[in-house]
Amino acid sequence: MGAEWPLNANTKAVGITIRDLEVVYSTGQGQVPAVNGVDLDIAGGQITGIIGESGSGKSTLAMAIMNAVPHPGRIVKGSVVVDGVGNMLTLDKESQRRARGRNLGFVFQAAQNSLNPLTRVGHQVLDLGRSHNVRDLRGLLRRAKELLHRMGMDADRVLTAYQHELSGGMRQRVGIMFALVLDAQVVILDEPTTALDMLSQASVLEIVRSIHEERNITTILITHDMGVVADLADRVVVMYGGELAEEGETAEVLAHPAHPYTKGLIRAIPRISGDLSQAVALSGSPPDLKTFMQSGCLFYDRCPERVAECQVKRPPYESAGPERKVACFRVMPHD
Amino acid sequence: MIEVRSLEKTFPGKHGLLGHDAVKAVQDVSFRIPDGGAVSFIGESGCGKTTIGRILAGLENYTAGEVLIDGQNLATVDRRQREAVLRRVQLIQQDPYQALNPARTIEQALSDPLKVMAKARGADTAWILERMEEVLGLVGLEPQTVVHKYPHMLSGGQRQRIVIARALTVEPSVLVADEAVSMIDVSLRLGVLKLLRDLREKFHISLIFITHDVASARYVGEDGQMFVIYKGMIAEQGPTDDVILHPQHPYTQALLSAVPVLKGLESPGSDRYIPLKELDHGQSPENACLFAPRCPFAQPLCETERPALQGASGHQYACHYPQERHVVAVALKE
Amino acid sequence: MSLAATTEAPSKNSPGPAGHPSFLKNAWRIIAKKPGRLLGLAIIVLFTLMAIFGPYLYPRQLPINPNAIYAPISWHYPLGTDFEGTSNLALIITGARYVLFAAAMAAVFTVVFGTALGLISGYYLGWPDSVIMRVTDFILTIPGFPLLVVLSTIWNFGQPMAMGFVLGITGWGGLARAVRSQTLSLRERGFIEAARTLGLSPFHILFKEILPNVGSYIAMNLLLAVTGSIYAEVGLFFLGVVPFQVNNWGVMLNLAVFSAGAMSSTQALPYLLSPLLALLILTLGVVLFLDAVDEMFNPRLKEA
Repeated sequence: MGAEWPLNANTKAVGITIRDLEVVYSTGQGQVPAVNGVDLDIAGGQITGIIGESGSGKSTLAMAIMNAVPHPGRIVKGSVVVDGVGNMLTLDKESQRRARGRNLGFVFQAAQNSLNPLTRVGHQVLDLGRSHNVRDLRGLLRRAKELLHRMGMDADRVLTAYQHELSGGMRQRVGIMFALVLDAQVVILDEPTTALDMLSQASVLEIVRSIHEERNITTILITHDMGVVADLADRVVVMYGGELAEEGETAEVLAHPAHPYTKGLIRAIPRISGDLSQAVALSGSPPDLKTFMQSGCLFYDRCPERVAECQVKRPPYESAGPERKVACFRVMPHD
Repeated sequence: MIEVRSLEKTFPGKHGLLGHDAVKAVQDVSFRIPDGGAVSFIGESGCGKTTIGRILAGLENYTAGEVLIDGQNLATVDRRQREAVLRRVQLIQQDPYQALNPARTIEQALSDPLKVMAKARGADTAWILERMEEVLGLVGLEPQTVVHKYPHMLSGGQRQRIVIARALTVEPSVLVADEAVSMIDVSLRLGVLKLLRDLREKFHISLIFITHDVASARYVGEDGQMFVIYKGMIAEQGPTDDVILHPQHPYTQALLSAVPVLKGLESPGSDRYIPLKELDHGQSPENACLFAPRCPFAQPLCETERPALQGASGHQYACHYPQERHVVAVALKE
Repeated sequence: MSLAATTEAPSKNSPGPAGHPSFLKNAWRIIAKKPGRLLGLAIIVLFTLMAIFGPYLYPRQLPINPNAIYAPISWHYPLGTDFEGTSNLALIITGARYVLFAAAMAAVFTVVFGTALGLISGYYLGWPDSVIMRVTDFILTIPGFPLLVVLSTIWNFGQPMAMGFVLGITGWGGLARAVRSQTLSLRERGFIEAARTLGLSPFHILFKEILPNVGSYIAMNLLLAVTGSIYAEVGLFFLGVVPFQVNNWGVMLNLAVFSAGAMSSTQALPYLLSPLLALLILTLGVVLFLDAVDEMFNPRLKEA
């Protein structure tokens, strides 16, 4: 069954509803709960930024949305419902495959991982089109060229190049082009700018922003850089140790952070202007296997605001205002 | 104390150093750092700033210019002294994992240079262990928790601290930090940056901070000099806050515009702009401004004549049409 | 608590005085992970013991029994007998010493030469590299086996040392090249550059920094060199090129095929199969054990 251009007549923004998601990694030392009981609503047409340190589970969460968690991880329970597609975790394999690429676009960290080193970029676009039954391949290439041109690149040169002939910044933009060329309505970017220098980062973010506006797509941005989220995202979700710590509208969370971890992340940014002594480093290190075993709040060891109650049980993730949620006993005291 | 005059480094292409495909990585760079001072080199990847750092650490030769470390000219110092002089400049590289031997424990990695030092001054094993504890303490690590481990068992931030500790074992007078925090999680960067700042203050170690992140350069060297490098040449130079708050060169302004704006805490500078075109690594014509192809404010003169450094003493810039623009994010008032 | 105190106090569980598990303990943990590797280790140990102690288990002159020539497999003769009635098992066990000793010599020689030259060549580059590589290329083009055949006409290979020496001399080329290419890539790594700026000596850099990272190549090469040498020797003896020794595995094969007609009748089959079985099991043991070698030398798999 072929598909005509444009692929999606329905331009309504696509939202994603995640309920009770749990992903576990089996390591030599035991089972690590990479994603632990996450309930999240990704609003259609918005840019949602998921921020966390290495090992917070953010990338695992992103891959779970695509139902593409690699071994030795596995999804233990939960549901990921994508508007117009269904529950990615229960759909049949073929529908899942079609959804990935057609409805859900994924841009990998260090994009060379998604580019075939032996084929020219243009051929890979065609391969992508063929595996998704796109009939008008020439049109697809035209679209690819248009996207590359939008991103400030010499389209002809890039399409005929091999992956190693392009710089890091160019490869990342090519990765974004792949995610968009099939007109996906949801684009997930996993650490899209981590390997890039400031100017490349700024241009990639600018491109994501303008394309997002133009097409009303739902963008999910995964990163460890609070600056990137603060600059680009409409909503921010803070993850720690596989659980959600805080979420809300970006400007609101930045100006009035509730969770001590969020406060710490913001304070640890060296600012371009203003008083330097305001910057304070986050103490301690990200959670390891031992931390996951403890019964209290995972952030306890590093928290400057902790009290006795925090060590006893995990704070529940609950509403702290309109469109705002926090998991912290200091913010939402329980008697 | 470091002094560099008219430094030049050209990498030969197929046709040798003078051929048309030779790469001029560094062109006419001069600076001076007092003890405990700081200089930051800002620019994109491949602009030559890394090469400057490597030349100072003795890992690369230079094709022209003069390099004086604590008064000793690298070109004229005799061979036996040369190694001792170069050892005073230690390099902290970008990748903390690559900088440590994966097959050696932290204890071994730290005792290697300490053994050489001990031999030179006739000290014993107790001295080595004492020094090891000392440098680990300086970088904020508990010796017992790290010495018996292999590098892969530590986090990125910890590894970089070990690298700094190792550099401190040879009692350097200069630290060259080349993208020293780029591969560490953003949340852990400040700790390492603060360490570098404290080392400057406590031990008067000069710091050469090479990065593409202007904000972190400001943090470690607010009281020092900032050099903005484009394709091996200085685009703008001056006291750090001067360059950040009153940038004159379009490239500096582009770099400052690229700093993420924290929604809710800041609003973007009114003149902020982001050039989309990529850096072209090819050769540039001799008689044009290097930045002209990407500059949104380029004029015909920029394609025909290369601008020289101009400006008041202290703050200089190489641009035919310098203009101050407000590109830096402004803090929102509560 | 000071560092001096930590480094002196060994604890009950794994960490030794150095504070981390020794190489051997770590190696054992890795070998014990899979039963295949344990089996491989057991086989190698068995053959080594055979080589060392085998000849002591039997009288110098193995007993012959004219009444049991080419006897079939039985309790008394677990592997049958040869043309004189000597137990094949006895022959195999006593013959192991020459074969394994020569192979071990060859392997040691290959490794020492190949590694040292590869390291020097890859690290210094320039003219040492050119010279060493030219020599290596020359060595690589020498066909080892035919050379041995030719040499055997003038040299008596009665002593395993001599055989090992020649095998070693002709076999280090491949390892030298492999070590050189590893060294070339390692020398650009940050920790090697750091070692240079810290003022560490070239000796230290080559043998304490680079060598441990090439460990797995060398270990694998060592084991493969052992099996390769064994086949080379046995082949030589099979061709009948060297002095006749009754318990030599290769000689046994030779006699089984050419004198006893084992290829055409089943009578002398045990005599043919005994050395083949020994070779097979030994090679199997090496291959099974090889699986553990890479992990043993991979620093990322070490545990605190």
